[in-house]
Amino acid sequence: MTIPAFDLLKPGSVAEASEMLLEHGDEARPIAGGTTLVILMKQRALRFSHLVDLQSIPGLERITDNDDGLSIGALATHRSVERSPLVQRRAPALAQAFSHVGNVRIRETASVGGNLAHADYRLDPPPALLVHGAEVVLAGAEGTRVVALKDFYRGMYETVLEPGEILVEVRVPHAAPAARTVYSRFSSLSANDWPCIGVAALLSLDNGNVGELALGLSGVAEAPLLAAGLERFQGESCSEELWDAVCDVVDEQLSPVSDLRGSADYKREMTRVWVRRTLRELAS
Amino acid sequence: MERNISLTVNGRQRELEVNDADTLLEVLRDGLKLWSVREACGVGACGSCTVLLDGRPVSACFLLAARLDGRSVETVEGLAGDDALHPIQQAFLENDAAQCGYCTPGFIMAAKALLEEHGDPTDDQIRDYLSGNLCRCGGYPNIMRAVRAAAARTSDR
Ligand SMILES: Cc1cc2nc3c(=O)[nH]c(=O)nc-3n(C[C@H](O)[C@H](O)[C@H](O)COP(=O)(O)OP(=O)(O)OC[C@H]3O[C@@H](n4cnc5c(N)ncnc54)[C@H](O)[C@@H]3O)c2cc1C
Ligand code: FES
Ligand code: FES
Repeated sequence: MTIPAFDLLKPGSVAEASEMLLEHGDEARPIAGGTTLVILMKQRALRFSHLVDLQSIPGLERITDNDDGLSIGALATHRSVERSPLVQRRAPALAQAFSHVGNVRIRETASVGGNLAHADYRLDPPPALLVHGAEVVLAGAEGTRVVALKDFYRGMYETVLEPGEILVEVRVPHAAPAARTVYSRFSSLSANDWPCIGVAALLSLDNGNVGELALGLSGVAEAPLLAAGLERFQGESCSEELWDAVCDVVDEQLSPVSDLRGSADYKREMTRVWVRRTLRELAS
Repeated sequence: MERNISLTVNGRQRELEVNDADTLLEVLRDGLKLWSVREACGVGACGSCTVLLDGRPVSACFLLAARLDGRSVETVEGLAGDDALHPIQQAFLENDAAQCGYCTPGFIMAAKALLEEHGDPTDDQIRDYLSGNLCRCGGYPNIMRAVRAAAARTSDR
């Protein structure tokens, strides 16, 4: 046994899981795919006396199409999102983003909720969810609340999840029919390494002019970022100068950290390159 | 905590007593002596511990065995028939796709999952699917050849 001993608790419902988490406080964590949690426990970077097994709660892995958007259960695996014909049709950038995570074994195991709750600053999926205006449904002892994903992150590895609260569902509103989306990731190390930078864009054109425009970014701030202030470009005609102006607005919102995938300055520069590329691609 | 789980391993149902903190790899190696399941990185990145869980490729090095009650696991030991290797094993052999052989069981299991998903994969599909399996001997060209040969053989059957 290389992992320090703990007890696995198997709740039958979200309410029971929430009670178990509250009972054991800081000594307990929910476990979904375990691709982050178990590895950190194995490396003895984290230690808990109890893990609350979210996989034992039935029904949390469903992906469905409602009238106004997709509903993705928190326990849906990355692979099931990547391969879902529904997601591929309704939100292709999202299927792309999940297909880039790590390797096929990780994607078979890791869950959508675990990816979001982990709140790492360089994850692939959050930018694509952000440009769709995704919301997360959080369930706890006090009931259920719905939070916009852009307000879910509080900082590096920090979210608004309260003790005992569980992310149960991600809601992804359908994009307008005219909108196109794309997710691009730049890896500065090996192809299936974590991204240095991830950029998702949503753009709709109205007679060649910008209609709706959204940019989601990963790797360039403490947490995944939805660029603010892009409404001002509505009605402008697509051009290289316009993309430069968009990059200037985005640049002001970045706060990259230097890490082994690149220095802060390099990431800033690469963000310009990749934002311009994704916008060019969508406008073409 | 100790608990009893029922796990189908290479087609045979096993009743096992596991600790909550045991990894699937520990149970397969230490308990069932399935030495093809090998730990190298221990963190999901290299694929030397690849096994199939209900037919899907996973890393045994960090899955908790206690969560797998009722599931089915396949390792390389379950592939060969009584008198013939599995076509993927045969293709690896004929194409010299193993040097030290440490990574080979993981590659073979990943290739099995790949071929179940894409019967006639393109080179890009093979590369993409196997990109999370690392060969420290650098035998990738022969591994590519072996997987192409196995695809030809399994799609003929
Ligand atoms: C080898 C490797 C390569 C990787 N490469 C990439 C990559 O290229 N790109 C990328 O984006 N990511 C990458 N990752 C990270 C991966 O995306 C995350 O590990 C994964 O998404 C976490 O999901 P999980 O279900 O396994 O979470 P777990 O490990 O189960 O949980 C993660 C955290 O979230 C909490 N949690 C889980 N589910 C919930 C819930 N429903 N409600 C509340 N809290 C919850 C847990 O308590 C824990 O703190 C990689 C990971 C590995 C191991
Ligand atoms: S040992 Fe499991 S992936 Fe490397
Ligand atoms: S053959 Fe030696 S590691 Fe692949």
